[in-house]
Amino acid sequence: MSGFAAVLRKDLRLERRSGESTLALLALSMLVLVVLVFALDSARLRSVDVAAGALWVAMVFAGMLGANRALLAERDNGAIRGLLLSPLDPGTLFAAKLVAALIFMAVAEVGAVILMVLFFNLEFDQSIARLAPVLALGAIGFSALATLLSAITGRTRGGDMLLPILAVPIFVPALIAGVKASAAALAGAPLSSMGDWLRIMIAFDVLFVTAGYLLFEHVVGED
Amino acid sequence: MNSAIRNGLGYTTLALMIAALFMVFDYVPPEAEQGIAQLIFYFHVPLAWVAFASFAIVAIAGIFYLWLGDQLWDDLGYAAAETGMVFCTLMIVAGSIWAKPIWGTWWTWDSRLTTTFILWLMYGGYLMLRASADDTPQVARFAAVLGIVAVLDVPIVIASVRLWRTIHPAVLVTKQGGHGLEDPRMVATLMVCLAAFTALWAWLLMLRFMQLRTRSRMGTLAVRIAFANAAASDSK
Amino acid sequence: MSAPVVETHSLAKTYGLALVLRDLDLRLPSGAGAFVTGGNGAGKSTLLRILAGLEAPSGGRALVFGQDTRKLAARYRRRIGVMAHQSFLYPNLTARENLEFFAELYSLAEPRASADRWLSRIGLAEVADSRVRTFSRGMEQRLSAARAMIAEPALLLLDEPFASLDHDGAEIVAALIRGAIERGAAVIATAHGVPEIEGVEFAVYEISRGRLAEPAPKEEVRRGSRIRSLLGR
Repeated sequence: MSGFAAVLRKDLRLERRSGESTLALLALSMLVLVVLVFALDSARLRSVDVAAGALWVAMVFAGMLGANRALLAERDNGAIRGLLLSPLDPGTLFAAKLVAALIFMAVAEVGAVILMVLFFNLEFDQSIARLAPVLALGAIGFSALATLLSAITGRTRGGDMLLPILAVPIFVPALIAGVKASAAALAGAPLSSMGDWLRIMIAFDVLFVTAGYLLFEHVVGED
Repeated sequence: MNSAIRNGLGYTTLALMIAALFMVFDYVPPEAEQGIAQLIFYFHVPLAWVAFASFAIVAIAGIFYLWLGDQLWDDLGYAAAETGMVFCTLMIVAGSIWAKPIWGTWWTWDSRLTTTFILWLMYGGYLMLRASADDTPQVARFAAVLGIVAVLDVPIVIASVRLWRTIHPAVLVTKQGGHGLEDPRMVATLMVCLAAFTALWAWLLMLRFMQLRTRSRMGTLAVRIAFANAAASDSK
Repeated sequence: MSAPVVETHSLAKTYGLALVLRDLDLRLPSGAGAFVTGGNGAGKSTLLRILAGLEAPSGGRALVFGQDTRKLAARYRRRIGVMAHQSFLYPNLTARENLEFFAELYSLAEPRASADRWLSRIGLAEVADSRVRTFSRGMEQRLSAARAMIAEPALLLLDEPFASLDHDGAEIVAALIRGAIERGAAVIATAHGVPEIEGVEFAVYEISRGRLAEPAPKEEVRRGSRIRSLLGR
């Protein structure tokens, strides 16, 4: 357990140290929202649907950047080998990287939600509170998936471009469920009415957190 | 032994395919409602079956590879992915050809076509991963993990897409493949087509698998040559 | 002294068509040190990587603490310290933070105190709060040595520990190695030549054509290395 805390603390410390780039990446995810506002004519479509969709696009974007960075820190000086040689269990390493990516994504989500409310003329009210659990479920699932996959793509030639190619199709079910549930929440529906969507997201989260924990040792090892 | 199986599969495929083509185009009566376009159904269903079966093999082979470490399982998984990709692509094309006369567009986001498309993207990702890296045991492990998580995801994909489409039924009130097979000739035709495509799939899979095995064996051979060379230069 | 800390049986490793190691038999009990020399590409680093469990042998077996190196459980990894060409250090963390992190990773009781103690031992106490990215290669190497030894492992695998070190640095690392052996650790280090370490008897092996030559008298090996380097081999 101390290993998990040590790795997480180290990653957060490193994240703070690389100050500007974190801010820049968060800004990048926000810019995605801006692009979508102009690209989609929200006057003609129901506002909450477009808002939810735009929010999730920005989130997925941020998620991919976040997961990548969590593992990037281990490339310098072969640090990952130092971790592999230590008594640290690979599953625990996965958990720490997952939480680090999750934190990054959560910060981005908060910013994105605020911007979404402003850009799409929504209200800061109950609906945002109902939105929170949906976004949390989505963030957990995507962080788990992206952490597992970026351990793979980080070490192949396709690299950064390969991560979205692999992650997006796999994430589709949670994306569908997340956008639908988010739109419903923003439209004022109670959480109980989104039961099916939430169940799908929970199933996705359980699947990928577990799979990541069990399979991580196979993707971080050396040859 | 392997060549005998491979050749046997080849001839079986040929025979079954001829029978299938005859039955589809000459024997079975077209369905009343959809007309001749409905015949695609006899190809679409077998294609779907082998595309998903391939995917399952990719995952199972991946599990065995991670567990046992034998290169044979990696070769099987890779062969299954390539073969599955072929049939998945055919499935999408067939679906598109079907969509045009029935719905008037080349593509529509109905639950079956959407799921097929996602599957196709997953196959594509797997093949891109393998293409973008060298053939090392490490990459084989990557591919195994990817295959496993992708397949585990498929049930969730199916569930979510189906839910997505039932909420928006507006696009299509349709026969999604004609489950009502009244005429026994239809059933027979479907069975033969299933057999034919399964044989074709098994044959192609076998061909590709044997190719990959040969290539892997060359790797083991290299190790033996290295030892032999060293021993030879020792005795000089 | 029952089972050896390290043993290999007919260890072999190929890279493509090249046989880097073969028929390599090695036994090292605790409290003993071995230097493995050889030219570039002779297979010294490969041997260490296999012993560390980072690579699998192509043939034969490698055992550490009686366990197959390919599947080392956490409790055995805890007792191994590794120095490689890469330092495994985080450039954006300070020297102290780096050592503290590894101390926590290896479940030491007082990470901070251990970190400070080792920083003094390697003469980097004044720069404890400087980021590693500002360090010279020699300083980083010293810190890497401390990182490898902070958990007082029973086995040290050191790949060219004296590379990039000036005289002072080399003395510091030599003292650390001596301390480890006196503690009862087993040490395998690679080097191009064989440095003198006061007060410690090292067995010296040479990897030649994939095999481990019998321990040679130090003088002979040193002469041999010098001649080989002159001939450019």
